[in-house]
Amino acid sequence: MKPLHARYPFMRAAREAVEAAEIDLATVVQRGDPAVERGLDRVESALEDGTVGEPHRQTRVELLSYPVARVLVSIVDEAVLTRSYARAEAASAHERFTDELASTTQLQSTSGDSLTLRELLAEFELLEHVRPEAGPLEEADRYWVEVGPYLDLAAGQWGEEWRLVNRPLTDGEVPLEESELLVLCRRAVEQRVESGLPLTVPDAIAEPLGDEVAQLRETLAELDLTRDIDTVVPDLFPPCMRALLDQIQKGEHLEHHSRFAITSFLTSIGMSTDEIVELYEINPGFGEEMTRYQTDHIRGETSPTEYSTPSCATMQSYGDCVNMDDRCERISHPMAYYEDALDEADEDEVTDWRESQES
Amino acid sequence: MEERTRAYLRGRFGDHYRRADLTPPPDASEREWGYIPWTSSPGTTMVRHRSLLDLGSIEDFLARERPRHVYFSAGRYDDPSASSMGQKGWRSSDLVFDLDADHLPSVTPGEDTYAEMLASCKDALRKLLDFLETDFGFEQLTVVFSGGRGYHVHVRDEGIQHLDRESRREIVDYVRGIGLEFDALVEEEAVGGTAGRSSPAHKRTLTTEGGWSGRAHGHIMDTVEALLASDESAAIERLTEYDGIGDGKAAAALRAMRENTDQLRAGNIDIHPAFVSVANALVEEVVEGDNAPIDEPVTTDTNRLIRLPGSLHGGSGLAVRRIDRDELDAFDPLVDAVPETFVGHDITVEVTDGGQIELYGDSFTFAEGVHSVPEYLGVFLMARGRAEKGQE
Ligand code: SF4
Repeated sequence: MKPLHARYPFMRAAREAVEAAEIDLATVVQRGDPAVERGLDRVESALEDGTVGEPHRQTRVELLSYPVARVLVSIVDEAVLTRSYARAEAASAHERFTDELASTTQLQSTSGDSLTLRELLAEFELLEHVRPEAGPLEEADRYWVEVGPYLDLAAGQWGEEWRLVNRPLTDGEVPLEESELLVLCRRAVEQRVESGLPLTVPDAIAEPLGDEVAQLRETLAELDLTRDIDTVVPDLFPPCMRALLDQIQKGEHLEHHSRFAITSFLTSIGMSTDEIVELYEINPGFGEEMTRYQTDHIRGETSPTEYSTPSCATMQSYGDCVNMDDRCERISHPMAYYEDALDEADEDEVTDWRESQES
Repeated sequence: MEERTRAYLRGRFGDHYRRADLTPPPDASEREWGYIPWTSSPGTTMVRHRSLLDLGSIEDFLARERPRHVYFSAGRYDDPSASSMGQKGWRSSDLVFDLDADHLPSVTPGEDTYAEMLASCKDALRKLLDFLETDFGFEQLTVVFSGGRGYHVHVRDEGIQHLDRESRREIVDYVRGIGLEFDALVEEEAVGGTAGRSSPAHKRTLTTEGGWSGRAHGHIMDTVEALLASDESAAIERLTEYDGIGDGKAAAALRAMRENTDQLRAGNIDIHPAFVSVANALVEEVVEGDNAPIDEPVTTDTNRLIRLPGSLHGGSGLAVRRIDRDELDAFDPLVDAVPETFVGHDITVEVTDGGQIELYGDSFTFAEGVHSVPEYLGVFLMARGRAEKGQE
């Protein structure tokens, strides 16, 4: 077991190291090894600040905490937790390899315990799909990535600059700066961590983790990520969402980020695809299929219990935050705006749009 | 459609299939097959979830069943005949593009003739192919006339086979120019910042190497050169046609173009604020002019069924034809897609909806009533529901 494995526990070599050491996870868990506490910390940190927390000083503990964390996430089995956890592992790894690659080029480290770009790309089967623009791989500052692998990794990235349409795609390749290539690697880590989750966890491992699981559930509940609104009152929507809805109802074309924002918002407040299409007032036969498809697609990326609606900060950066009002000053998320508006509204005067449709 | 018409068409489709030499798509046995039979019931139902194993060889099946329409899946599966997508076990999928005259902004339905619609569609096809070949560098393209109102392109390169819907939608948006943003297209670079300057200036450039950025740059240069070649007042007048460009801005932009032509050629568009506004408008023009208006759901659906090349389109009696890439320019769907089987004899039809039609190099004007017409025309009219079979 090398420190490298502990820093990048999702790598195949790390997994092999654990296997080679013939460590039985059930035993680790049953005897309350420090890896359990550190594993819980990984997942809690993911929820709290989007990282995996401070590494344990022992390589063995740090490395073993990774499979423990995956087991914990699997037992809790909430989409929002799995997603946040995978993102956090990826974010921490990204921070580490970005630093490490910057320093290796400077020091030309040969210790064998630092990650090279070649190894990183090879780990995710990207090596044969990425070509340095000039010179050796490690020294280039611009790379050409084949469009297939680019899309696999970039299609889920948030932001206009990642959209293929805004990239100078040439003869099947997309040019990227080094830092952008590392962002794709972060996404590859996220996909790797998420793949296979939830695991089927044998009782011998699940039972001793009862306390940790309970604690995670509690943290989740406190963060209130899984609350259920299920009330549709368009008059109380935040100004940004009302504006987007207006545009759709007028038949205007929305950018993907805007379409995503409104659709994920409507999904988060409990609307089904049918209801959304109906609310959009799309003429039957004209654009309905497309809307239904896109709505389904965006819903697939989200889940009704998940806080996937973009925050005010994101809305602002895309120019989707318009007509801010007093309530906007007090909140930082359109969902919070809506909840606050619902709380304050007089119960009797609130009519769910879906009920008014039925009559 | 009357029973006798249906029986006639089915019989003649059968004759065609017995003579036809069909090349099935690669991996035909991993694909789902479907067809629509010649039934009298109003709602046409597709028979689907068939595998090649169920059908036997494609050629035998076609000659035996003589279907009205035949389709195969873009996707390949572990078990193509399983009745739900989940059970089929998806393996991979060709990338398919559909250009249909009904979805083209340049087509006015009801006004344009069939030949005009198909010509617009071919223009759109050229745009699409330019993206697929130049930008995406795809090598395994099959171009197909759909037998109806447009063209299909099947891409079978290895690199796209496993792409999911989301990635395919990025490809759709690319060829349609959806989500293209001026600010995301230009690269911002810090320049200067040398001794004596406190903060570096920013230079905005359009990469000239390819993609939409390269296209936009090409269009900007063409426009700049045309403006510089025309006389001052005409150039200014042309520039003021853009939103937010008054006489003053136009003159400033023009001066900047004249003084910085080399900079512009290299992609630096940050030569003057007024010019940046013009460039912004030109980028919009390029999207409008160059995008390929494909039908999105066809491309993003990894389980899509598409018409089989070599089969007959039951709504036109025309053949679904593969077109060799270097024969595309010469290809005339209304001549080259007329099946041989229907050429060389006349039949009697009762026209119920008269009009004018160009087919097989001839132009026909016909009124309602009983006529003896070349069979290909008769089949076309009957398949389109504009005639019934008459007594010979
Ligand atoms: S502040 Fe937030 S809730 Fe208010 S309009 Fe802007 S994005 Fe919407």
